[in-house]
This record gives sequence, structure tokens and C-alpha cells, in this order.
Amino acid sequence: MKELLATVKENRELAKDIRAITLTLPEPVGKIKGGQFANLSAGDKSFPLKRPLGICEVNNNDITLCYQLKGEGTRSISSAEAGDKLSVLLPLGNGFDLGGAHNIAVVGGGVGIFPLAAVISEYAGKKNFFSYIGFRGAEYACLTERFERGGKLIVATDDGSIGFHGNAVQAFLADYEEGKFDLIISCGPPVMLRALKSALKERKINTKCFVSLEERMGCGIGACLVCACKKTDGHNARVCKDGPVFDITEVEL
Amino acid sequence: MSKLSVNICGVSFKNPVIAASGTFGFGREYNELYDISSVGGVSTKGLTLESRPGNPVPRIAEGKSVILNAVGLQNPGVEEFVKNDLDWLKGKTTVIANVAGRTLEDYENICARLDGLVDMMELNISCPNVRAGGMALGIKPQNVEEVTRLCKGALKKTPLIVKLSPNVESIATNAQAAQRGGADCISLINTLTGMVVDIERRRPIIANNTGGVSGAGIMPIALRMVYEAAHAVNIPVIGMGGITCGNDAIAFMMAGACAVQVGTSNFTDSYSIPRIVREMDEWLDRHGIKDVNEIVNTLQLN
Repeated sequence: MKELLATVKENRELAKDIRAITLTLPEPVGKIKGGQFANLSAGDKSFPLKRPLGICEVNNNDITLCYQLKGEGTRSISSAEAGDKLSVLLPLGNGFDLGGAHNIAVVGGGVGIFPLAAVISEYAGKKNFFSYIGFRGAEYACLTERFERGGKLIVATDDGSIGFHGNAVQAFLADYEEGKFDLIISCGPPVMLRALKSALKERKINTKCFVSLEERMGCGIGACLVCACKKTDGHNARVCKDGPVFDITEVEL
Repeated sequence: MSKLSVNICGVSFKNPVIAASGTFGFGREYNELYDISSVGGVSTKGLTLESRPGNPVPRIAEGKSVILNAVGLQNPGVEEFVKNDLDWLKGKTTVIANVAGRTLEDYENICARLDGLVDMMELNISCPNVRAGGMALGIKPQNVEEVTRLCKGALKKTPLIVKLSPNVESIATNAQAAQRGGADCISLINTLTGMVVDIERRRPIIANNTGGVSGAGIMPIALRMVYEAAHAVNIPVIGMGGITCGNDAIAFMMAGACAVQVGTSNFTDSYSIPRIVREMDEWLDRHGIKDVNEIVNTLQLN
């Protein structure tokens, strides 16, 4: 884990309001696991907080972070051009640990697909991935070729403009068969993760399931206790340091 | 290289830049980024007698050059701190225990528990307090004096810092109230109360609705208050509020602070504190000043 002044290599649009920024790090930061994230400066001191963004791709000292244009901070990041310098703190969080699992269901929605894409890249060719990736509509769809490389892909859209008409959880459930998967990994909006948790419970699906959570963060390293989530044992966990990946049965969503 | 060490109430700090409470935990996480023995001192995450779960999320929001937080004193409780973190942190740097309570007795008891174990105590009197009818103890001068006197009575060995809230009628009056109550030192400013709204949802971003405002944007207010407080008392003052660079820290010391605390800047630049120490040293060198203590309280008004 280091904070470095990285050089912007590329900053491009992937889909409507979705962008990818590739940064060249001045020195190695050690192994980056799929599901870890980076805290990226918005490049302007009037934004004191860095933005926690999922690491989507790692290529030697080049890392790609994907983000949705949401507020002024992400707009400021979107204005960074090749050659600009941005401070970045990484790698943060625990990432996904796939263990010995081989047939893995990947359930992702919206910006939640980015850290999942990194997992696919990390293990492509070594594991079978069955990806169920949801978007609001065709204009928001991106990174589909990456998920295809991992194995099978079903795209779902809320408006039915492409693929399965519905959300990623519904697409996953429609394709689910007992014994098909030995692990489920998921990341997406809270409403999606809640739907996944209750569906697993209702359908009595006991397959191990890891979810990556999102929360507003301060330091990003576990010191400030801003990004708390409730664990089912009643204790708080830090999303940035203890997570962002948790066993779905261990966190309240 | 100038002399950077400072001495506050007989406690020595290797340099005048202290990590502010609530931004630095108990130091372990930042120590993964750099050796925190380079930090002048650490004011711990606010401690209470029992563990506290804190507020619902979101607990943080951002304004222009400021942040707001409402963590709600989430902490593992004083016993866990003593058992797991205190010795480690003392091996690294000077330790200030930041403490809070729901009742006056809580403040007294936590001071008695930590007396002699930490280098200094810092009272957080900005949290809502039962005895004060839910109002923070830090608002009315008579409450500031009362809680200070009780805590001072419970402390036989460890010097007492009272951290002042800026959300008051007169910072000078409250500084004097702390001094009358027996404070060995005051620190200021705690956060200003504020709000940030998501206009699409017509709701405040922070779950608690309001939060404490900190960061570079509050520095002129903090600097004015530190100046006023420092000139109203004759005990040492630790200044804070929006410091992001060596020049900021030097301005606070010129205004009367004998040391400073740095909080929000740690989020913007994880290496803020060692950088600020270096920048102060460079400034002192450039100005031929051999000892940082020489700049304290040297501000001349127009």
C-alpha cells in the first residue's frame, strides 16, 4: 500500500456516464488482487476526499480505474488528460479470495461490475466464470467482452434493450441449477445485494457467496471509522479495511 | 535543520505536528504507510468507558475545501485501547488520549482510568451530554469549567488538555473557563457544525443530518479563534483547523499555538504530517530560525 503521484495515460468513455482512467504508477505497489480498490484524488484541492474506485485492470505499472460520472468530484476526474498527475493510494481493501472454487457465478450490477472484471482478468483460463451482468439499458453496457473471456456471459438490462429483461440477480436465478456453482461473487448497488441475499435465503441456496460493498469513505485505510457496515454478529466492520469483500451471511445489507 | 521539539506542560514532543483525534485511529493503519515515530504525537480516536457503535452511515460528506463527519464516537472502549494499542503507540510517539463521555462521571472515571498511563489527556467536550440536557458540555462557560475541574481532580499525574468547541458565543470566555477549571492546556478548534444537502433527494447527505466541518476551508476561522484564545489565557495552546502545509502550521504557531494538530489533511495526502514537519523545517531554515519555539506568539497585528 502506497500513495503515489501517478501519470494519467488515458481517460476515456466506456458507456454513457461511465469512464475508465488508466494511470501509470511511478513504482510498483506489489500484488493487486481482483476486488481491491484505489483512492484517487479528484485533482483539485477543493475536493479534500479521494474517490474510492474499483481497480478494473492491472498491467504491470498501469492500472485502470472505472467510474461513473456522479458528482463534481468524478467530473473533475473526468477532466484529467493524458500526462496529468493525480495522487492515488493503493491497493486498498481485501479483494476476492476464490479459494479452491472452480465454477464461479459472477453477479454484478452497474459500477459494481468493475472490481468483478478485475477478478475475471486475474483468473481467466484458470476458472470457469458464469457472469450475470446488469445494466439500466444498452447505452450503459460496457466491458462485456472481458466477462465473455472468463466463460459464459448473460447480460441483463432493466429496460430489456439487450439481453435478459430484468436485473442481474433475476438473470442469475433464471440460470441457476443446483450444483452448478461452488462460489458466487457479487458487487452492485445495495438494493441488488439485498435482493441477492434474500433470494439465496428463500431458495435455500447454500453456495458460499462473497459480496463487495460500497460506502462513503474518509481515509481509505481503516483509521477514521467513517465507512462502517454492520455485521450480523452485531459488531461494526470497516468497509475499506476489513472489506470491501465480505461473506454475504456475515453482513447486514 | 532547526530544533523542532516542543515541550508542553512538561511533556516533550519531537516536533510540533500532532495527529488530530478521529483521523488517525490509534496510529496502526498510518504506520503501514510510514513509520509514525516521525509524528510529533498522536491524539487518539475519541475514547469512552464502554465501546460505542457510532452513528448510521453515511458518516461523511464533502463541501468545497471542507469535509463533514458524524462518526458518533465509534470506539472499542478504553479497556480495549489500554490492552491492545497503548503500549505499542507509546513505543512510537507521544500519546494524547482523547476522551469523551455521556455524563460528568464518565469524564471523571475515564480520566482516573488513564491517569499516569498516557502522556496527556484531551477532553472532547463537544459531544451531546446527558447532564447538560443533551447539549454539549463545551458550549456554556460554566459547564466547561465544571467538567474541567472534575477531570483535573481525577488526574494526579497526567496533564489535562481541554479541546474547545468553536460553536460558542465567545471562544476567549470558554478558554478562560477551562483555565479557571484547572486545564493545563487548551486545544482548538474542534469541528464547526454544518450540513450538506443532496438536492435531488432533498435530504442531507449525512445520516445524522449535521456533521462537524473540518478541512482547509475552515482555517481562517480556526486561526482567528486560536489567536483570541491564546491571548485570553496563560496556559499553552495547541492549534488546529484546516492545516494542510508547513506554512499553515507556522501561521498557527505565530498566532499563539505552541504545537498544532493535523486531521483532515491526512485524508487528502496520507503523508501529510511528515510532509508538514519537513516544510516547517525548510521554512525555518530559509528564515535562519534555529528553534521552532522562537516563532510562537510572534504575530504582530496591523
